[in-house]
Amino acid sequence: MMLIKIAWRNIWRSKLRSAVVIFAIASGLVGGLFSSAWMKGMANQRVKSTFELETAHIQFHNPDFIDNFDVKKTIVSSAEKLEELSNIEGVKAVTGRLKTSAMAATANKNMGVTIFGVNPKTEKDVFGIYKKIDSVSGNFFNTKKKNSIVISKALAEELKVRLKSKIVLTFQDYNGQITGAAFKVIGLFKTDNSTWDKMHVFVEDDDLRRVLELPEDQSHEIDILLNDYAQASIISEQLEIKYPNILIEDWSKIQPYTSFITDYMDIMMGVFMLIILGALGFGIVNTMLMVILERTKELGMLMAIGMTKKRVFEMIMFETILLALVGAFIGEILSMFLINYFGKAGIDLSAWADGMESVGYSALTYPALEPYSYIQITIMVLITGILASIYPAIKALKLNPAEALRTV
Amino acid sequence: MSVIKINNLTKTYHETEVPVHAVNGISLDFKKGEFAAIVGPSGCGKTTLMNMIGGLDKPTSGEVEVSEIDISQLSSSKLIDFRLRNIGFVFQAYNLIPVLTAKENVEFIMQLQNWDKKEMNDRTINLLESVGLGGKINSRPNQMSGGEQQRVAVARALASKPQFVLADEPTANLDSHATSQLLDIMKKLNEDENITFIFSTHDQRVIDKALRVITLEDGKVISDEAKSKKVKD
Repeated sequence: MMLIKIAWRNIWRSKLRSAVVIFAIASGLVGGLFSSAWMKGMANQRVKSTFELETAHIQFHNPDFIDNFDVKKTIVSSAEKLEELSNIEGVKAVTGRLKTSAMAATANKNMGVTIFGVNPKTEKDVFGIYKKIDSVSGNFFNTKKKNSIVISKALAEELKVRLKSKIVLTFQDYNGQITGAAFKVIGLFKTDNSTWDKMHVFVEDDDLRRVLELPEDQSHEIDILLNDYAQASIISEQLEIKYPNILIEDWSKIQPYTSFITDYMDIMMGVFMLIILGALGFGIVNTMLMVILERTKELGMLMAIGMTKKRVFEMIMFETILLALVGAFIGEILSMFLINYFGKAGIDLSAWADGMESVGYSALTYPALEPYSYIQITIMVLITGILASIYPAIKALKLNPAEALRTV
Repeated sequence: MSVIKINNLTKTYHETEVPVHAVNGISLDFKKGEFAAIVGPSGCGKTTLMNMIGGLDKPTSGEVEVSEIDISQLSSSKLIDFRLRNIGFVFQAYNLIPVLTAKENVEFIMQLQNWDKKEMNDRTINLLESVGLGGKINSRPNQMSGGEQQRVAVARALASKPQFVLADEPTANLDSHATSQLLDIMKKLNEDENITFIFSTHDQRVIDKALRVITLEDGKVISDEAKSKKVKD
């Protein structure tokens, strides 16, 4: 206890020098943590938007459907399955979709798209596309009119259409015949992923089923939203047992990239913090070497009066660790404040919106960092402090008390 | 009864082409309760001799026996423990721990020996009162005069009830009033606790107070004078 007391008080002997080191550690951590939170926030938004707009948490397909979107490869008795799935614990909502590849044509241009045939009511329980339609851009199938279509603003721009314009969709039907129908644009959405926007359109499942000549009670896809996405792999494993003839994939299998970016951001954050702490560690070593040099006589005295080498080592280690932890504490408090503030206000990168949205990221980012990250950083700082104290402490142990006492 | 027995002690430095014999075949005997001064001109070997008696330096040859233990043969870690339990040090430049109060400085030695908290507290207060610093137990070194700091150093040196105290030029930085006060205190503690005090000094005031004066020149004892009956016994 006495050693910790001495170590703590020693830190404040040279207030300016300690303040410089503490400031360096604190600012390093603020930079590192805030950048990590920024990256993490971007990744979280990407993941959230993937769940909300593209994949939900778990998907069912006919195993043969995935390869080439063959409309005949359906999930049969889909209504019954939807009913069963909605009663499973942990499942928040389910919906069925029809899905086919098509050519969207207007008088100006043709583009390849994927059509989702959706049940507007259950679709809204699982996916959030309807939230991406602003108040002046129509609606998500609030109308009872047949052959309505919701497309993205990006696609509308490409095809040079607007609300109430018609688009002709051409695709292969259930019998292998090329068929098509004209659809009237009733809604224009815009997500943070302009590439995805240009490739997907939404129609009502009844309309698509009719044109496809697809039998009732069959779907191409069932999408499941869970209460907790982290449970996806466990629940999908349970469902695989229950539905052995259906391809069941959780979000990490459907979108490996999404799974990858969350892991990648964690790794990047770790590497980033290691580099920062490594640099800070050398700064701490330098400071502690100066401390040893300045206190040579005092250390000599301590060894002369009976302080063991182990205790001298501990004293220097405590001082280094405490110095690092003070910097870490200040840095983490400042980081928490900054991350919380920008986590609510967001960081607006509208100037680069086109570039960011083309790769699926929002221009408005909300930094976020889990509480455990602060604990991880504190442990990393602690380890840095221990490592940084070793060389100065060894230097101190090499002092000869008699010679050290003779120094000025 | 001998507390320290020095037999044919030598210390030779080979830092230059010509070996320097800092201590050259000294044999001495210090008894319990002595109040002795080692004197001599600069470079005569006083500090080297003190360092070897205190186990801070290893002799080139010869022995230093403290209570019949040859400390020159002890390993470095055993020597540290030996110093902690048997030797009190008072250095020239006060050498207190600057971030601790007077009380904490004195307690420090006892804490290193894991003393009982109450016993430690009582002894610290007693020692600080006996050196006239009962009112300054919570003062840090920078809040005390040089004389007061040196008195704390004396209290610290006595804290672990050592067999002897080595004081290397303890009055070198003190004015005459502080010197006189310090010497009176050390003499009183020497008499009250029967602890051996050995000084290395140039200071005539210390020499006048000492009951035994050992004069060194060129690493050899050239005179060893006892002033009182107690020492001769």
